[in-house]
Amino acid sequence: MENMNLNRHISGQFNAELDDIRNRVLAMGGLVENQLQEALNALVSLDAELAQRVIEGDHRVNGMEVSIDEECTRIIAKRQPAASDLRMIIAISKTIADLERIGDACVKIAKAALDKRLKNQQPLLVSIENMGRHATRTLHDTLDALARMDAEVAIELHREDKKLDSEYEGIIRQLMTYMMEDPRSIPEVLDVLWAARAVERVGDRCQNICEYIIYYVKGKDVRHTSYEEMKNI
Amino acid sequence: MISIDKSVMKTDTLDLDNLSPEQTALEIRNLDLKYGDKQALFDVSMKIPKKKVTAFIGPSGCGKSTLLRCINRMNDLVDNCHIGGEIMLHGQNIYDKKVDVASLRRNVGMVFQRPNPFPKSIYENVVYGLRLQGINNRRELDEAAERSLRGAAIWDEVKDRLHDNAFGLSGGQQQRLVIARAIAIEPEVLLLDEPTSALDPISTLTIEELITELKSKYTVVIVTHNMQQAARVSDQTAFMYMGELIEYADTNTIFTTPKQRKTEDYITGRYG
Repeated sequence: MENMNLNRHISGQFNAELDDIRNRVLAMGGLVENQLQEALNALVSLDAELAQRVIEGDHRVNGMEVSIDEECTRIIAKRQPAASDLRMIIAISKTIADLERIGDACVKIAKAALDKRLKNQQPLLVSIENMGRHATRTLHDTLDALARMDAEVAIELHREDKKLDSEYEGIIRQLMTYMMEDPRSIPEVLDVLWAARAVERVGDRCQNICEYIIYYVKGKDVRHTSYEEMKNI
Repeated sequence: MISIDKSVMKTDTLDLDNLSPEQTALEIRNLDLKYGDKQALFDVSMKIPKKKVTAFIGPSGCGKSTLLRCINRMNDLVDNCHIGGEIMLHGQNIYDKKVDVASLRRNVGMVFQRPNPFPKSIYENVVYGLRLQGINNRRELDEAAERSLRGAAIWDEVKDRLHDNAFGLSGGQQQRLVIARAIAIEPEVLLLDEPTSALDPISTLTIEELITELKSKYTVVIVTHNMQQAARVSDQTAFMYMGELIEYADTNTIFTTPKQRKTEDYITGRYG
């Protein structure tokens, strides 16, 4: 976020307030990234203790969303931001909503890790591990683009989500064969399916955040537009 | 993959570069202005649309008031003032020698920063311009007074004391009275030079509300130091800096996604 001439407000206090919420969004991003990492680790290693920690940690994510949102409202009321400042506040307010939902996805993944029946179904977890790694990297890169407010990277990342989607479809097909082969395994397979679905949603959320980055930098709302249109703004 | 219905989106902005003659109230063409050796306006060109509110914003000394005053030739009163370029009203350059300044000012009314009622009754203030035009028919004057005072959203407050001295009104009321006086002669264009800078916040809001109503009948051009005011009342905004027109676009664009860096810096309160 340094490259946009952010710290040159005549009002030093306004600078400080904007700096503060930017830093808090990045801190929230870091926390969510950590939650995702740990939730996936807990699932892959079926570590109930770690899973429990992730579930409890979601309170902090929720709390950060609420407090950053309050600060955004306060800044709008007090400073009447315009142009890039306004877009920054709007982008932040939307980003934290998506980060919070990624936090919820982490809880879903962690809850799957609590299912003891999965102990006998280790092979199911291998493919989700790959997909999880991919999602973690996407989230990491998205947060990086957010920290630097880099629209070019955001456009490329936005496209990445397709790969996660096709991995998810692959997992569904794989899980369906498991269910057909052994209907008694359906409860566990469904657990894994929900977790895979949660991981896939992380990608969608990252895509949204990329849209907010592009909105902030370019001033154009790129929701529901194609990659080519995005490139041309 | 375009899955968005554009018809639900609001798109009622004018294309300011390609306004048709019917949509244009005023056209400023390559306007230069010098006070002695000092150049105050540099090659300003813009079209001001009819029955809309156009705001001029910019830091002190950027030329926005000078530009506004050019529109009804107020700068003629300044010694050593040289003007080049044209301002077209009804297809005629208002700086043409043939133009009668008094009749131009009947078409282009002006309201200033400080309310300046005449030391007369409220009623006489409003009908002053009509009397100058030689209208003395009592009924005609009464009707015009009521219509103008209603138009300026002050009728209800003064209808029972029309013959009291105008100086007895509050600042906000005086300013609305002055606006009533300006619209009594039914101009086409109304120029407002920081009309609320001497008023309290509530009177300011009343005037802003009035400005929004005025545009159903008049073309309004307003100079304001208050950027939020420009954002609230205007349809299009022109940002000026050091005598140049930097950016002119619809107000929504100026306040959310300005194209020019200088505009961005000014409206977000950064050093230019």
